[in-house]
Amino acid sequence: MDQFITTYGFLIIMMMLQAVLALSLYLPLMAGQLSLATPGFFAIGGYVAAVLSTQKFLPAPGTTFPEPLQSFVTWLATVFPLTPTGQGFPIGLVLVEMVIGGLLCGLVAILIGLPALRLRGIYLALATIAFVEVLRVVSLNLPITGGAIGIFGIPQPFPTDATKFSYIVIALPFLLLCMAYVYRLERSRVGRAFIALREDELAATAMGINPTYHKVLAFAMGAVMAGMAGAMTAHVLNTWNARQGTFDASILILAYVIIGGSRTFLGPVVGALLLTALPEVLRQVAGIDGLPDFLAAFLRDGRLVIYGFLIAFGVLSFPQGLLTPELLKRKKKASAPLPPTGGG
Amino acid sequence: MKKSFFAVSSVSLALMLGVGAAIAQDAEPIRIGVAVAQTSNVALLGQEQVIGAEIAAQYFNDLGGINGRPIELVIQDTAGDEAGAINAFNTVIAEGVVGIVGPTLSQQAFAADPIAEAARVPVIAPSNTARGIPEIGAYIARVSAPVALVAPNAVRTALEFDPEIQRVAVFFAQNDAFATSETGTFQETVTALGLELLPVQTFQTTDTDFTTQITNILPLNPDLAIVSGLAADGGNLVRQLRELGYEGLIVGGNGLNTANIFPVCQAFCDGILIAQAYSYSYENEVNSAFRDIYFEQQGKEPPQFSGQAFAGVQVFVEALIELDNTVGLDTLDLAATRDQLNTTLLGLTYDTPLGVISFTPEGEINQGTFYVAQISMNEDGQTGSFVFVNTIDVTAEATPEATPAS
Amino acid sequence: MELTTLLQQLINGLSIGSVYAIFALGYTLIFSILGIINFAHGAVFTMGAYFTYALIGSRFGFNGIFANAQLPFGLPFPLALIAGGVLAGLVGVLIERTTFRPLRRRGADPLLTLVSSLGMAVALVNLIQYFVGAEAYSYPSSVLAGLPPSINFGTPEKPLIVRTVQIVIAIISLIILVGLTLFINKTKTGRALRAVSEDGTTASLLGINTDRLIVLTFFISGFVGGIAGTLVGLSVTITGPYFGIAFGLKGLAVIVLGGMGNIPGAVLGGLVIGIAENLLPASAVAYKDAIAFAILFIVLLVRPQGILGRAQITKV
Repeated sequence: MDQFITTYGFLIIMMMLQAVLALSLYLPLMAGQLSLATPGFFAIGGYVAAVLSTQKFLPAPGTTFPEPLQSFVTWLATVFPLTPTGQGFPIGLVLVEMVIGGLLCGLVAILIGLPALRLRGIYLALATIAFVEVLRVVSLNLPITGGAIGIFGIPQPFPTDATKFSYIVIALPFLLLCMAYVYRLERSRVGRAFIALREDELAATAMGINPTYHKVLAFAMGAVMAGMAGAMTAHVLNTWNARQGTFDASILILAYVIIGGSRTFLGPVVGALLLTALPEVLRQVAGIDGLPDFLAAFLRDGRLVIYGFLIAFGVLSFPQGLLTPELLKRKKKASAPLPPTGGG
Repeated sequence: MKKSFFAVSSVSLALMLGVGAAIAQDAEPIRIGVAVAQTSNVALLGQEQVIGAEIAAQYFNDLGGINGRPIELVIQDTAGDEAGAINAFNTVIAEGVVGIVGPTLSQQAFAADPIAEAARVPVIAPSNTARGIPEIGAYIARVSAPVALVAPNAVRTALEFDPEIQRVAVFFAQNDAFATSETGTFQETVTALGLELLPVQTFQTTDTDFTTQITNILPLNPDLAIVSGLAADGGNLVRQLRELGYEGLIVGGNGLNTANIFPVCQAFCDGILIAQAYSYSYENEVNSAFRDIYFEQQGKEPPQFSGQAFAGVQVFVEALIELDNTVGLDTLDLAATRDQLNTTLLGLTYDTPLGVISFTPEGEINQGTFYVAQISMNEDGQTGSFVFVNTIDVTAEATPEATPAS
Repeated sequence: MELTTLLQQLINGLSIGSVYAIFALGYTLIFSILGIINFAHGAVFTMGAYFTYALIGSRFGFNGIFANAQLPFGLPFPLALIAGGVLAGLVGVLIERTTFRPLRRRGADPLLTLVSSLGMAVALVNLIQYFVGAEAYSYPSSVLAGLPPSINFGTPEKPLIVRTVQIVIAIISLIILVGLTLFINKTKTGRALRAVSEDGTTASLLGINTDRLIVLTFFISGFVGGIAGTLVGLSVTITGPYFGIAFGLKGLAVIVLGGMGNIPGAVLGGLVIGIAENLLPASAVAYKDAIAFAILFIVLLVRPQGILGRAQITKV
């Protein structure tokens, strides 16, 4: 078990955080909006955590918050338990950073979303890609974000844990909360309004659903989740820089949702867990003794070839994604007749 | 790695036979991790590092390994990102390595080195030259001299070549941590030498067209151009500078310090000055051996990235031998071996292909000699070589001035 | 900005703009028929460059499965350029067969095709690295033998310099553009293509073989992409397996600006973005890479159909 955690502890944390990112892309998609802005919010959240924890939360003179905010922060740090060793960065402050990062992202999302969400389909996707790219170039040029080097030496709540597995005490509840939130949302009035907009915007509007309000709401909810995930990831990675929010990440997160299934909140989560683990699983498979040399070499050096083909052909084999609402229902009532499956 | 399928060269064959002769069959190998970028767009640098590390493993096993016990490299791909580096570090740590050579990029080091630090596994950085790497922790050391020591030598050499230099154009890749760090040093050097720094021009490592930046600068009549980037973008920038009529000297940063730049700027590469932390022409026993094996395998002279990776493995091997002689490796469990290996390696002096090196208590390299090479292209415009034009002995000088954060 | 500098930057903008344009043509062709962006186009572009490299009889490097491999013959460059384009076109057809057609047959969400083509792009790029390594490859300098590296259109005191290879690219882009326009407007197949792009269902009811036309479109897109890859490779060398991917994102901005699926629009979009990037003040050059995307964002908000596009279609 120790061996397992040493090798995979970090990976498990990353899988959970990526699952939150998948949910953040899933939320606007629930309302029929294909937004690829998640990595942008993820990056903002990470910078918030990196700047706060390296510059603002440290007890150096002149770098504190104005009162009474600083008193509040200090109070939080004492109320929330410190790490087991008692000398790490307070977990409470990580949570504060996540909240600040999330709120900031929500605000940015509303500002961007109001004009941009008039766009549909691929046009919205392109606008959000543009947002991510502009943000990347800006963060390379702002002094506070540290240029290409970024911000490093981010303080650790678990300084003695090399595997990073201790982050599970934040990551797991965070993921479960996000999942519970989206689960409840899907069954709430607002969530049903989202789905109605996705299925038929015209009909939904006729029924009195305000499209702009609901679309911006879904977009902002996703942004808050991505920002919070970013804030935590900055601590997990020890460092943060402009390469964290890129187009490549947009695509990867979209792949989580599409491969996992875009019609139920479990789909994105499963997709993210599987796709994040895949390259590492291939790495271990390549290391199995007794494989023919050429196969081991291909698994090792051609990992990403396999990864790419799996995404391409995964979509072909599971056009609805791995998990569909129908599949979940079938599990529940094994005897119930199958609903017809059609194109999305 | 891949090459071993196609051609087992006579040298490596001989070495393998040698290993069998020198080392007891039943001795359990000591594992050293090599975690560098073998995929992604920095794969080229990582591939050079793997070659250097593998040659070192062969060479030292041939000499008898660690008092008869062979060393075994555990090579893992970090790809080009932070998470990949952390995963690779965790994988090699779980495989029971006594120390790690890696990662390739400074950005990755800021993410992955704290992992090794917390696991108390010593790390030798083979190519991380940004500020603040040894300061990550007690278990982090580097054989790659910091940019503040290496880079200024090229500018000083350019001034020796052309004392008339007045106006200096500086270009750097703003999305690359190394180039950003390096350009800070270059700009400070230019100012410190009393030269005029023209408006700094930035680009991205993914760019291929630099005519905008060049057109901004050429009307200001620069006498010297300094380029910090990677091979493909840096090479293209040099080529377009020349094509658009720039005739002055060009200084390249460490990212251009590879033969991979030759196909990019072709005949226009000729004359680029690049400061070096390694010279294949350095004369000592270990470098001659390294150079011969490398040439035999690759058909060219070893580059700096391979030389530094070799030195990284060598530091572990010699420190392990010392530890075995003083304490005895079989009396130590893995954790104690890692712990004491770290203390031991910081205290020794090594005669490596880089010259004689040692470490400060913090893990920073003490390296006595640096070089400046000039690229000389052949008639065909496709192949060329680094000709060493200057050797700078820094041991004679006072301790280098500290550079403020870039 | 001084007049000469301004003119020089305009010329720079036109030459990089023609590179953006020739890249974006491949995107826009497929979008015009299917309403889908083929993200694997960057990989096809890259492969075209490598095909030509192999066909002129050059040797591959030390890394990768093809270490030191070399064809037993070498074609002259113009022939290899076209043959490389044809091979890239065939790769395009292969992509259509394996990733686009099965999904289209099922009437799947276009989003799936987008992701599938992205998976294909990841696989192809890494396949290239697996076979030939990550090093840069360049065509021998004899390809443009006899031509000077650059031409000065100004005076020695007030130079206006253009890289020769950029002139070659601009000319070939123009030839391809004219050829494509003639093909689409004047030939029977071209008119059928237009019918399919207007309305695929009606076109197939009218007896047009949609599948055959889609394959043809992928071939042309790959062919143009392959030729573009070789030409850009001639200009800046094949910088590695990620060579074409770097243009992929800018290409998106270009086709949106020009109007999605609009061929002259792609060219116009490329030139506008190229010029805009070059007219940035020298002190703001750090933001050069953000220009295309800032334009993209603004155009989407103000005129989503692009400069030459028609009113917004609701294809996803």
